[in-house]
Amino acid sequence: MIQVLLTPRSGPEIEMKKIVSIDIGSTWTKGGLFCLTDSGLKLEKRVSVPTTQNNLVNGFREALTRLLDKDLNTSLKELKDQAEIYFSSSAKGGLRIAAIGLVPDLTLQLARLAAMSAGGKVIASFAFSLTGNDLRKLEQLQPDILLFSGGTDGGNSSYILENARKLAASSIACPVIYAGNIAVADEVAEIMSSKEVVVTENLMPEIGQVNIEPAREKIREISLQRIVSGRGLSEIVEIFGCQPKPTPLAVFELIAAIPTCQPEWSDLAAIDIGGATTDFYSNTESYLETDTVVLKGIKEPKVKRTVEGDLGMRVSAESLLDTAWPYLEERLKELKLDPDSLRNYVANISRELDYLPRTEIEILCDRLLAESCVYYAGLRHIGGWKETYTPQGRVYIQTGKDLRRVRAIIGSGGFLSAATSAEVMRIPLEKLRHYGQERKLLPEKPAFFADRQYLFSLLGNLVGKYPREATSLAVKSVEIL
Amino acid sequence: MTDAIEKNHNTAKAENLEKPTIILGVIGADCHSVGNKILELFFTSEGFKVVNLGVMVSQQEFINAAIETNARAILVSSLYGHGEIDCQGFRDLCLEKGLDRIILYAGGNLVVGKTPFEVVEKKFKQMGFDRVFPPDVDLKKVAELLRQDIRERFSQEAGDSGAADSTVRTRN
Ligand code: B12
Repeated sequence: MIQVLLTPRSGPEIEMKKIVSIDIGSTWTKGGLFCLTDSGLKLEKRVSVPTTQNNLVNGFREALTRLLDKDLNTSLKELKDQAEIYFSSSAKGGLRIAAIGLVPDLTLQLARLAAMSAGGKVIASFAFSLTGNDLRKLEQLQPDILLFSGGTDGGNSSYILENARKLAASSIACPVIYAGNIAVADEVAEIMSSKEVVVTENLMPEIGQVNIEPAREKIREISLQRIVSGRGLSEIVEIFGCQPKPTPLAVFELIAAIPTCQPEWSDLAAIDIGGATTDFYSNTESYLETDTVVLKGIKEPKVKRTVEGDLGMRVSAESLLDTAWPYLEERLKELKLDPDSLRNYVANISRELDYLPRTEIEILCDRLLAESCVYYAGLRHIGGWKETYTPQGRVYIQTGKDLRRVRAIIGSGGFLSAATSAEVMRIPLEKLRHYGQERKLLPEKPAFFADRQYLFSLLGNLVGKYPREATSLAVKSVEIL
Repeated sequence: MTDAIEKNHNTAKAENLEKPTIILGVIGADCHSVGNKILELFFTSEGFKVVNLGVMVSQQEFINAAIETNARAILVSSLYGHGEIDCQGFRDLCLEKGLDRIILYAGGNLVVGKTPFEVVEKKFKQMGFDRVFPPDVDLKKVAELLRQDIRERFSQEAGDSGAADSTVRTRN
């Protein structure tokens, strides 16, 4: 699949820079050739080649040579001076992180948010003291990173030290990031000296004070090393002198930068449904203080990512069916569709992961799966209000993040990029309004967009160096639904 | 460790470790915020590290904050007349969550109608509150009692392990 959009070869000399961005996904390695001039960043060419699992360099080289119109066998060294090169990798769906906190609603919740905002996937989380069962589970899962938090600065240390001792005695082998009570940081590092321990600032130095940036940065650093090691990527780093980003982090950084550089896109959200996971990003103030709304728990960060490992279109289709059954059942009824046809479809696509729907029913099934990804990812990402009547009148208790001011929702990932109507996002979000007794703080009147050219991860790679240009192209490239 | 963390570390040690932490808040659906602010200023000036949860605080929130901060005491305010209902089961929940030595005080307008204070005090003590105060209490005296109670209950121990005793398993 090669798409040539424009090939300027001759003509007057203008200041122009060629930039290549490549995203190594689990099935496809996608690349874009961009041209940077005074008038901004432009996409010149877009390619997609199968990812070469054993040695990622081969797929990378193929994408790169195609983008640059070179012979497939051209050595990477020769390609070096042809363009500026950036890349990301979603190596096996992101880093697997286990989170440990003290109280579930406080430090544990922050540990989970920090892990997801750094582009990781939370595979397990534990509160209070670790039990024998918890430890066995950790040893069995062997996460890529353990994020260990708990206690405010100068606060609890007994749980922390007890957990440190248990972890020290366990067989977990991954790096441990300690982001808990700073008063016992040295002691924790000493107890766990047999492990690789990185100490950083506390996720919650005071009750309710959110400080996830330092831990996020440490996760990012470790991700880099992990992504690069093995499967040939170190060669790319060496030759091109650029560090890869985890794909979700690239998207996160793009979402973080858009409102800063493109003020008319000030409050936005993005949903990325993949085969294995669903990512939900939002960039909006999480709580507006008023006389009638009281926030409980932590004030969530302005830029937030959550990722759901049980919601996806293919690898996670079976678990999606489990999770999403209440929603699906209602929709099947509305559409007068036989539940068995959906069940059979899910059984089929679970066996054949790159299956594309052929019949009308199958297309509808895929759409229902996507809807339910949106519904449950939204349910978990978006906060709510509970009404209470005080003698003084009605007061709302808010937990989680308020997305009411979000004006744009962008669909990305294979399925949503190709969406032809906003309904696949609008219907499930509308249904969320009436979830339980809680009033979900959903975007009030959002416009829906599709990341039609699937550029978000590619542009996310460029946003660090070219924030204005990359965000400008990002908002220009989305298509309103 | 970087210098910044080292510095942070030292300040944390200096400021937080020596001062006993206490949790303040107005329980239930109660919005009276003036007294709560005064208590925060007062106890801070008395040398406590105050974590103020503000108004409309649930039992669970008081307890969550006490666990994370290793607090010595929770000072519950109730002004709107529903304190007795809101405070029911507070001590039990503390025990349940592993806060087996935490000091519990209650104060504010705990009396409804013409009930004598002694009756209300007895009720709150039966619920497990260590001390109960009327609205016109002399706060200086409260601070004195609080220091004394903390000394008595937490003196023998080294380090923390006070508020959140890890031998008690806790789960939400
Ligand atoms: C101002 C006020 C309001 C304001 C509050 C504004 C705000 N943002 O705070 C508004 C108008 C909203 C209000 C509403 C109501 N109020 Co009003 N309100 C008062 C008033 C007049 C003053 C409260 C005040 O600020 N006092 C000044 C501060 C400094 O004193 P304090 O709050 O008592 O706190 C001190 C002590 O109590 C003590 N203390 C408090 N907690 C603790 C805890 C410990 C451990 C210790 C040691 C000490 C301690 O130390 C504090 C500092 O000195 C009182 C009457 C009064 N004079 O007390 C009624 C009063 C508290 N309200 C009352 C009532 C009934 C209500 C309403 C239910 C009325 C209604 N039907 O709408 C609502 C409830 C709303 C709600 N959901 O909470 C009653 C409560 C009766 C009862 N307990 O039996 C009172 C006593 C009036 C009365 N006599 O009827 N109220």
